[in-house]
Amino acid sequence: MSRKNLLINGKKGDKAILLGNEAIARGAIEAGIGYASMYPGTPASEIIIALDKNKQYIENFYSEFSLNEHVSLHGAIGASWSGVRALCAMKNVGLNVASEPAHFLAYTGVKAGLVIAIGSDPGAPSSSNEQDDRWYSFHTGMPIMEPADIQEAKDFTRDAFGISEKFSFGIILNAPARLCHNAGTIHFDDPKDRAGIEGNFIKDPDNYLNLFNLVVKNHNKYIKRGNLLKEFLSNSPFNFAITWPPQSSGKGMGRERTGFISAGVIYSHLIESLNILEEKDNKILKLGFTYPISEELIGDFVKDLDRVVIVEEGEGFLEFQIKKIAYEIGFKGKIHGKDIFKMAGELTLDDVITGLSEFLCKSTPEYFDISVRKSAEVEEALPQRSGTFCIGCPHRATIYSVLKAIGFSHTDGKERDNVVIAGDIGCYTLSLLPPYNAMDFLTCMNAGLGIGQAISRFDKKKKVIALVGDSTFFHSGIPVLLNAVQNNADVLYIILDNSWTAMTGHQRTPSTPKCVDGTSLQGSVNIKELVKSLGVTNVKSLDPNSVKRFSSHVKSMLKEKGLKVLIAKRECILQEERRKKILKAESPEKAEAVSLYEIQKERCVKCNECFLELACPAISLKNEKTPGGENLEYYYIDPASCVKCGVCYEICPNSAIRKVEYNLKPVHPGTEGEYERV
Amino acid sequence: MKGFNIAIVGLGGQGIITMGTVLKNAALDSDLKDVSGSERRGGAQREGYVETFVKYIFYEKESELRDPRKNIHSPMIQSGGADVLISLEPLETLRGAHYINKNSTVIFNKIPHIPISVRMGQACYPDISDIRSRLKNICGRVFEYDFDGLSLSNFNSLMQRNIIALGVLFSKTDIPIDKPIIEGILSKGKGGKENLEAFHLGLEVS
Ligand code: SF4
Ligand code: SF4
Repeated sequence: MSRKNLLINGKKGDKAILLGNEAIARGAIEAGIGYASMYPGTPASEIIIALDKNKQYIENFYSEFSLNEHVSLHGAIGASWSGVRALCAMKNVGLNVASEPAHFLAYTGVKAGLVIAIGSDPGAPSSSNEQDDRWYSFHTGMPIMEPADIQEAKDFTRDAFGISEKFSFGIILNAPARLCHNAGTIHFDDPKDRAGIEGNFIKDPDNYLNLFNLVVKNHNKYIKRGNLLKEFLSNSPFNFAITWPPQSSGKGMGRERTGFISAGVIYSHLIESLNILEEKDNKILKLGFTYPISEELIGDFVKDLDRVVIVEEGEGFLEFQIKKIAYEIGFKGKIHGKDIFKMAGELTLDDVITGLSEFLCKSTPEYFDISVRKSAEVEEALPQRSGTFCIGCPHRATIYSVLKAIGFSHTDGKERDNVVIAGDIGCYTLSLLPPYNAMDFLTCMNAGLGIGQAISRFDKKKKVIALVGDSTFFHSGIPVLLNAVQNNADVLYIILDNSWTAMTGHQRTPSTPKCVDGTSLQGSVNIKELVKSLGVTNVKSLDPNSVKRFSSHVKSMLKEKGLKVLIAKRECILQEERRKKILKAESPEKAEAVSLYEIQKERCVKCNECFLELACPAISLKNEKTPGGENLEYYYIDPASCVKCGVCYEICPNSAIRKVEYNLKPVHPGTEGEYERV
Repeated sequence: MKGFNIAIVGLGGQGIITMGTVLKNAALDSDLKDVSGSERRGGAQREGYVETFVKYIFYEKESELRDPRKNIHSPMIQSGGADVLISLEPLETLRGAHYINKNSTVIFNKIPHIPISVRMGQACYPDISDIRSRLKNICGRVFEYDFDGLSLSNFNSLMQRNIIALGVLFSKTDIPIDKPIIEGILSKGKGGKENLEAFHLGLEVS
């Protein structure tokens, strides 16, 4: 049985290697969910991808990639109120967008279990914020579960639905990227029978009408439910203590009796660190629920301790709660946490080892010290490596054209001081990195036009260009654009429409015209018509790969006053390439002409236009010894990586790049790859 | 309880994540074998640094499996904690070098991929000989190959370079996984035949 089907059909006794995100999806299947949704966002995307791509194999099941997190959570609530268990996933900052429904949910409560799986992103490798969503629970009232490994990711998700129903709360399942993208062994349990999953909205005005005096009534109800949950958590399998090792009460060697409290992935760092440091004489409390925390549980754990160390990531969410509880019940010992472990950035295994070793005065192993020291020497000298657009990505052409239109050039040292480029979230965000440096600010979804239109109002000396992707535009950009129309902003708004939510694995957007296999999608929205209907009169839609044309339109539109919208319309190259492969496999006889781009050494003057300004990664630098023994450096297009978009060919000012066409007949029949030149 | 840790590093699009997945699936045959290891996927497809960890855990007895002080494992590898470092890009080998210790084995691809900072003239790409000697300064067992060339000349594409590297992993280290298990995993699905060929090529290159 393939892995994919095991995720859906696996039974008790089966095991598999799954990603943390897939384990969450599997847990939801075992709990018998009938609804799953998300607005895609790294690191959480695979949770819903795993379910959505298999949806035809799951009986009585609905899933969607919603337009944004707000809509997505509303959808999950509607499913729950109809008696269908619902999973809603999002990345950390997604909860900001969904925070309105998140805030009424405790008041109204749920009907069928509802779980919000949040992928947090400490260190922010894929986010514009390190936000720790757990703090939301102080005002949304939502309980939080934190699985420590893949097995728990599945088991906690499965169990969360029942707890959600029992106490009528939406439950947050918090999973940092390290867990979302951890892959390991998982043991399955039997899934709930799916035959009975059916919606039935039972009217419940006492709970669902949440206004006026009913609000206060509902507020009291949820405080009561929260207390019941706390009681349940004072003695549940989700929180457990590891007591003193045999023959010890922690008093050995006359040192202070020490206890650790931790949760989630950091708990797994803690256990591993204690093993590495060979530190055994301690107690450990592992929290599966990190909100609410039972007073009784903490009281019980700390009573025979002199000091407590809270090991957690972020700004001290557990420490805040535990200190309050412990000091209120009269704990006399010391409580440590953020005085040992950093608040910002990912808390790594190394951080936990080092922090504990210093605190406990235990030396780290010799190999660890040597490695830390030697690698510091090595890493100092390493050139930085930043990500960039894929080879042949149309965003590269768009950004290049914009930069050329406003006169920017690295090679000639020309800046772009009189233009502000407002950035936004998506693949095109990569343009803020070198060599483009094409964003002056980058904050949250649709901040580009939002902040940009105000800048255009106050700084009359600069032109403002705001960038946005198709998916981000649909997420929450339409009101921002309408605001710009209504208040006549002076901005060039460039919508980079590549037909997909590409960065998170190519989910479709409302304007996706055709599937990857080529079938056209009915009713897809035409962005140009949509923008016109919003009242924008100055709209153009162009293919950015025709860089010269695109660039000259950017230039002329920038001269015009008022709001201008330019749609850079070209499909994501990865999808285009995939489609080509699928179609080729379906009808091999219809192979298209094969061409190749090459740089002619003798003509290239190394002006850097293709190598540094456009910076297509398929163009690289090569070294060769000439017959005279000299070192010859030249630019070269790697045929194995070039996807033949032709952009470099168009921009080379010296006609040094040529297009070579190949015959379709292989030189030796039966072999691929070697073709006869035309 | 014994462990065997492998750190795999390289660039987005080189098939780093796949290597990790193949190796992890090899741990499914025994209940006393466990595997963990997170992936850094941020730069996938986009030239960025990618790393994945494979941590094999071997329990000696059932009781260890149930001991809460032993039965959970961090998804990360600590500094100096890798038995093997495999890298598909020379410079990134150095970036991953903090995972190795004096007893580790390093297997790396010597074909460079020049980062933007070097294109822009802001930094220099180190010489392969310099990379080699820096690695040898940490551990004795350093092996380098032209995985790009091996893949291109044998399979006409770069797609197999990661699987060839897996073959080398089995010939140059004492990875505690039986070869036939990996062969079984590689031969499944489409491309199975080529994958097996690539793996065997890796086993045989010296
Ligand atoms: S045609 Fe030129 S710009 Fe396009 S992928 Fe090939 S090398 Fe890069
Ligand atoms: S190929 Fe053309 S654009 Fe590229 S560096 Fe040479 S002359 Fe300049």
